[in-house]
Amino acid sequence: MKDRAELVIIGGGVSGLGTAYQLAKRGFTDIVVIERDYFGSGATGRCGGGIRQQFSEEYNIILARESVRMFEKMSDELGQDIGFRQGGYLILAHTEKEAEDLRRNVRLQNSLDVPSMYMEPEEALEIVPELNIEGLSAAAYCPTDGVAQPFLVIKGYVDNLRKMGVELMDHTEVLDIKVENGEIRKVITDKGDIETRMVLNAAGAWSRNIAKMVGVELPNKPYRHEIMATEHMKPWLKPMVISFHNGVYFSQSHDGEIVGGIGDPNEPSSYNIKSSLEFLERFTSVVVRYIPIMRKVKVMRQWAGLYDVTPDARPILGPVDELPGFIQAHGYSGHGFMIHPMVTKLLAEYIIDGKTSIDIEPLNLRRYTSGETIQEKNVVG
Amino acid sequence: MTDLRIHRHPILKYVRGNPLKFYFEGEERTGYENETIGAALYATGLKEFSHSFKLDRPRGIFCAIGQCASCRMRVNGVPNVRTCITPLEEGMTVERQFGAGEKPTNTEVRKTFKKELEADIAIVGGGPAGLSAAIYAAKFGARVVLVDRFPKLGGQLIKQTHKFFGSRKHDAGVRGIDIAERLIKQVEENPNIMVLSEAEAFGYYEPATIAVAGKDTIYRINAKKIIMATGAAEKALLFENNDLPGVYGAGAAQTLMNTYGVKPGDEIIMVGAGNVGVIVTYQLLQAGVKVKMIVEAMPKIGAYFVHAAKVRRMGVPILTRHSILRAYGENQVEGATIVQLDDNWQPIPGTEKDVEVDGIAISVGLRPTYGLLDQAGVKIQFVPELGGHVALRNRNLETSVKNIYVAGDIAGIEEASTAIMEGRIAGLSAVIDMGLAGDDAKELRESVRAELTELRAGPFGARIRQGLEKVEVL
Ligand SMILES: Cc1cc2nc3c(=O)[nH]c(=O)nc-3n(C[C@H](O)[C@H](O)[C@H](O)COP(=O)(O)OP(=O)(O)OC[C@H]3O[C@@H](n4cnc5c(N)ncnc54)[C@H](O)[C@@H]3O)c2cc1C
Repeated sequence: MKDRAELVIIGGGVSGLGTAYQLAKRGFTDIVVIERDYFGSGATGRCGGGIRQQFSEEYNIILARESVRMFEKMSDELGQDIGFRQGGYLILAHTEKEAEDLRRNVRLQNSLDVPSMYMEPEEALEIVPELNIEGLSAAAYCPTDGVAQPFLVIKGYVDNLRKMGVELMDHTEVLDIKVENGEIRKVITDKGDIETRMVLNAAGAWSRNIAKMVGVELPNKPYRHEIMATEHMKPWLKPMVISFHNGVYFSQSHDGEIVGGIGDPNEPSSYNIKSSLEFLERFTSVVVRYIPIMRKVKVMRQWAGLYDVTPDARPILGPVDELPGFIQAHGYSGHGFMIHPMVTKLLAEYIIDGKTSIDIEPLNLRRYTSGETIQEKNVVG
Repeated sequence: MTDLRIHRHPILKYVRGNPLKFYFEGEERTGYENETIGAALYATGLKEFSHSFKLDRPRGIFCAIGQCASCRMRVNGVPNVRTCITPLEEGMTVERQFGAGEKPTNTEVRKTFKKELEADIAIVGGGPAGLSAAIYAAKFGARVVLVDRFPKLGGQLIKQTHKFFGSRKHDAGVRGIDIAERLIKQVEENPNIMVLSEAEAFGYYEPATIAVAGKDTIYRINAKKIIMATGAAEKALLFENNDLPGVYGAGAAQTLMNTYGVKPGDEIIMVGAGNVGVIVTYQLLQAGVKVKMIVEAMPKIGAYFVHAAKVRRMGVPILTRHSILRAYGENQVEGATIVQLDDNWQPIPGTEKDVEVDGIAISVGLRPTYGLLDQAGVKIQFVPELGGHVALRNRNLETSVKNIYVAGDIAGIEEASTAIMEGRIAGLSAVIDMGLAGDDAKELRESVRAELTELRAGPFGARIRQGLEKVEVL
């Protein structure tokens, strides 16, 4: 292990590895990435792999749109098939209010070059003929949304980073960070110390614990989110189907399983990632209500992961005022996989150039003290 | 049409129910009540049940007890149905799948509702261990729910037509099928025991809940104690085309012929001369199947001498220091290439020989089915002496997760008589730990333990004793 590096990245999910990759691509390779468990063991390897541009808030739409453009090229760029499939996202609305929200969002998305469309429930049948449209008020569809396989993305990053000479340490835990005279000096791990002046905090739901090591308080809270996968079938379900009405989402992965989950408004904040039978019951009954033939599809696996949730459901990116050199890359609030390509590219720009092609200032931690927050409403789960 | 049903057998009488018409890819076929779809199709000569979902390779029945995926078919418009454990019904439509299954077209709801059951003890697995656990726990008033994925109770005992070894006290001289009868009767007559058949436990949830997928119902069994007695699975062997239809476990051959009265083939080769390989060979001969030879990689035969001598007398050569190199045939087994091994277990070039057979039975041992234990977070260790991954436990068979016990092959590959003893100990420990029973149960447990120790004494039990030392550590 190196005992000195220009940058230490804490966390081996898409946020940490993605930033390392974007930096290395531009020649910045004096990096050590530290992951406590295996790469992708956090939220990344447990996520649904959904990639959506249909947000309610301009900034998120732009991040997602740019990310989709990067996902489209990712398999070629990494030399690794990432299982990217653009079957679109079909959003289902139940009430008039939800229909109105969809209409407004589609207008905003279209103004930002995202080709989403508003439709009547009957039109949604053209995209998913198996859908039961009873009780639906409207739908929205964006054909360039899609899914990718998180573990294949992780593998692509890991293989490329190793080739590029970036040091990757898995099964290594960061225990402490030493600060002297208002500057980072050292990252202390269970495998030894690394001298550095710069740390990227990309520890997902554990980022607040990392921040505590240097006396920074983060507003993030961890919430369990459960998810499951069915048996494999030949492709039949084209889009990711979601509804903000009940927080459900499900899609068919490129190797044929239906993968999906549902949020639980009563879930308390905790680090619990055990699976529950209640989730299976709730999720399957909602899915069957939308797609009756799902009644005959067998459940194969279930698991859970943590959403790393901020008060406005938007990520926290960039430096903190108290400690320059301590850079944040977390708080993705359940949609970090889909926006990570652009986010990590911007972080790399910030680290190398000191400025970014899209302003990341609105996502600085500072917004919670200055009171300048905008809520993202389109959060699933 | 081919008829592989056995009509005369020296020991078994097959009770076939009424004939049932069903449709295989549009073609009418006949099976019988009490048969599974898989058994009925096999009896009419079908070997190629499905194609694998990634590489589209032909697959046939391998395990015959619902533990593998190679017999999946589309039944009544539903993909990926394990035909080896699904009972045949009048008018069913059955089709093969090429690659992954198509989406279901059947939305007919049977009674897919959820049912909560309260129990003192939930037992997963209705083989000798699970049945014995149920009987001994119920003796002390425990309310027991016992689940099994197979349509019939009895586990692997229901196909053991041979007489058991050992001392008189442990049912020596009694056939496995008769021991099963006796245990099943005691369970079914006991008002404290509720049995769910064709019911597969698919998950453990805290604090002691077992979720079960029944035929029409999802059960949620809220128990105080759980006994896992899910038995073992047959090991596969690595050789070219080992997935060709017609390659199956020796246990699958046994299930087909002894449970359903269906011959696994006309001429087969057995791989492995341990007890299972040799006993199943004998049973195959009884069923009228020609066993061309047994090949065994070890320099000597593992089975009990008397059994081996018997099959040899009946004309089956046992070739030690031999193994199988490949299976061949178009879409199903037409033969096996065998080869002699040198002292380092390497094939000796030039000794390859083709043997024409229509079936290759594999009996290279069993491994514990530890899936549910692993999901529950039980501490597991790989212990070769016990056949694979097994739970760490205390002397009372309680695992590292409080309230979960193990008994039978899941706790280490042994045999029916030890599984019965372990079942009793687990059942008794559960009622004792729950406070339902006191000193009399403890005394009984001690005497069962003494019997179990006796069964494992002597040179045959040495390996098991070594294995147990590694896992009885809690
Ligand atoms: C069930 C579920 C479904 C989801 N579905 C989607 C979806 O469809 N689309 C989408 O875009 N997003 C989805 N998400 C959200 C997405 O998974 C996350 O936003 C994203 O993966 C976050 O990546 P990350 O790198 O920030 O965090 P993580 O992947 O959690 O990575 C953080 C890493 O830091 C490591 N770490 C923590 N502490 C230390 C330490 N002290 N030392 C060393 N290493 C440490 C952890 O082990 C972990 O691997 C879902 C999340 C869940 C839980």
